[in-house]
Amino acid sequence: MGIKEDFDLLANAIISGKHIEAGTLTSQLLNGTAMPEEILEKGLLQGMEVVGKRFKDNEIFLPQVLVSARAMKAAMNILEPLMIGSGHKPKGKVLLGTVKGDVHDIGKNLVSIMLQGSGYSVVDLGTGCTTEKFLSGIETHNPDIVGMSALLTTTMVYMKTVIDFLRSHEVSIPIIIGGAPINQKYANEIFADGYARNAAEAVDLVAKILSERRTT
Amino acid sequence: MDLHEPDRIPFMCQMSIGHMLQQLQVCPTEFWFDPDTFTSGLLSLREIYGFDGILISLHGHTTGWRDRIVKRAQSENGEFVSFNDGTKMIFRNDDLPESLDNSPPKPSVSEVNIKKLPCPLDYIPISQGLHFKIDPRNKFGVIETIVRKAGKDYSIHGEITSPFDYFLDLLGHQEGLIALIDDPEKCKEILSHFTRLVEELAIEMCRTGVDAIKISSPFSGAGFISPEFYKEFVVPYESRISRSIRKQGVHTYLHTCGAIGDRLDMMFESGASGIECLDPPPLGDVELDCGMKVAQHRGFIKGNVDSVNTLLLGTDEEILSDAKKRIEVGGKSGGFILSTACSIAPKVKKEKVLLLRRAVERWG
Repeated sequence: MGIKEDFDLLANAIISGKHIEAGTLTSQLLNGTAMPEEILEKGLLQGMEVVGKRFKDNEIFLPQVLVSARAMKAAMNILEPLMIGSGHKPKGKVLLGTVKGDVHDIGKNLVSIMLQGSGYSVVDLGTGCTTEKFLSGIETHNPDIVGMSALLTTTMVYMKTVIDFLRSHEVSIPIIIGGAPINQKYANEIFADGYARNAAEAVDLVAKILSERRTT
Repeated sequence: MDLHEPDRIPFMCQMSIGHMLQQLQVCPTEFWFDPDTFTSGLLSLREIYGFDGILISLHGHTTGWRDRIVKRAQSENGEFVSFNDGTKMIFRNDDLPESLDNSPPKPSVSEVNIKKLPCPLDYIPISQGLHFKIDPRNKFGVIETIVRKAGKDYSIHGEITSPFDYFLDLLGHQEGLIALIDDPEKCKEILSHFTRLVEELAIEMCRTGVDAIKISSPFSGAGFISPEFYKEFVVPYESRISRSIRKQGVHTYLHTCGAIGDRLDMMFESGASGIECLDPPPLGDVELDCGMKVAQHRGFIKGNVDSVNTLLLGTDEEILSDAKKRIEVGGKSGGFILSTACSIAPKVKKEKVLLLRRAVERWG
């Protein structure tokens, strides 16, 4: 079997959420001639791209995305130590957090999973994030984009507080928002740089914003 | 609920705890724990809004709750409460209480020992690990009080929680959803266990004199699982409970948040008398006319004004127009209760909810 078929097998293991198989195939490819970056690009990201598209098209649902993400993680646990120092760069770095007063993290975690599965580096600040926590996270990790999540109508208003606070501290990186009660109108009102309805759209939004910034 | 043509379209919304607190201006800790504060609060809210019924979303309050508290301290964020078992919580005036302790680790599906699962059911899973303890000596005291005080004049509804919600609460949402793929048979064993217990609880609740029981199943919409998984992991268990409730002569309705358009048919097939919520776009995907078509002669619909985009963010004109449209669509035959789709959000103003009342009086 050729190496292209091996990459396809790995991509299929990701798509079907077979984490043990994904780990085994990754090790086998490394023991052959494949480089870690090549395995990531041609196997893992190819697989997650299909997962993202199927999720967006309602062909698959959250459980299937979660098992695919677990398979991706199994492979990345093998690849990551080898990629450190190799000069490999993720597509971009995204800082995520659920805002203060809100302990809900399912949506944010899904965005994190989908972004990582699409080749982005993610720093997850967790839930209940204050303005200071976002600022400190930005200063420490120097992300390309900040993503905020809120599930509650009581906590969504804190997104504006965070945006105002970060802008007053001369943070100019794009800030995007999402969560069940959020919509584009609200994003416009609080001067967020983008809004995504779901995790798959969040990946597209991040790609679009970063692409626009790189061309300007 | 009987699908007869009423004199006027009934009006009744479910409210978030935060909204109740905002309107009643009562101590959040007292409202959460104290049966008298809770029952009088629900009765007052019915009066304020002119609802035709009362949903009693919590039950099993214990009268000795104060004995568990060792310290209470007010702060700008709410009231911090320390309990005699060492746990701590914060009670805010616009939201659910929150535990300040680290959540205990969740078991993996393989670690779950069915024989060691809770039995009988002594808690209600509320949100993100927050439980409401059911006092076994006073399981339905608040319901009985409200039935006694208002049952002759208004429709009184109790609430139970879907076995699927207990299952996700047990394992955690992510691990629970993964387990549906990894070990579906074990998941079904767990679901069967909770189904038996919820069914017992529901049958007991029927004896309090409630007119209907809502089955809360917030995580079984398309935002979480496919229609196939819904059919496999939700329908058989909720159906069993629905049918048991109906055998007692009590109505029951399903409440599932978000996008449910692809499973409405299955929901009506489950044996429930009706469906609540039907979040319209953008929160969900069900327009009322589509929902009414699926419901025709099979059950009632309680919905579906968007609590956030219409009630919280809309103008008075937009709210009235939205309500009028729904009354026109839903009122063509019996089987429609005007309500918000999901709970009234905490910061929705009283006057906005009263516009819905005005709408049913004018057009309903």
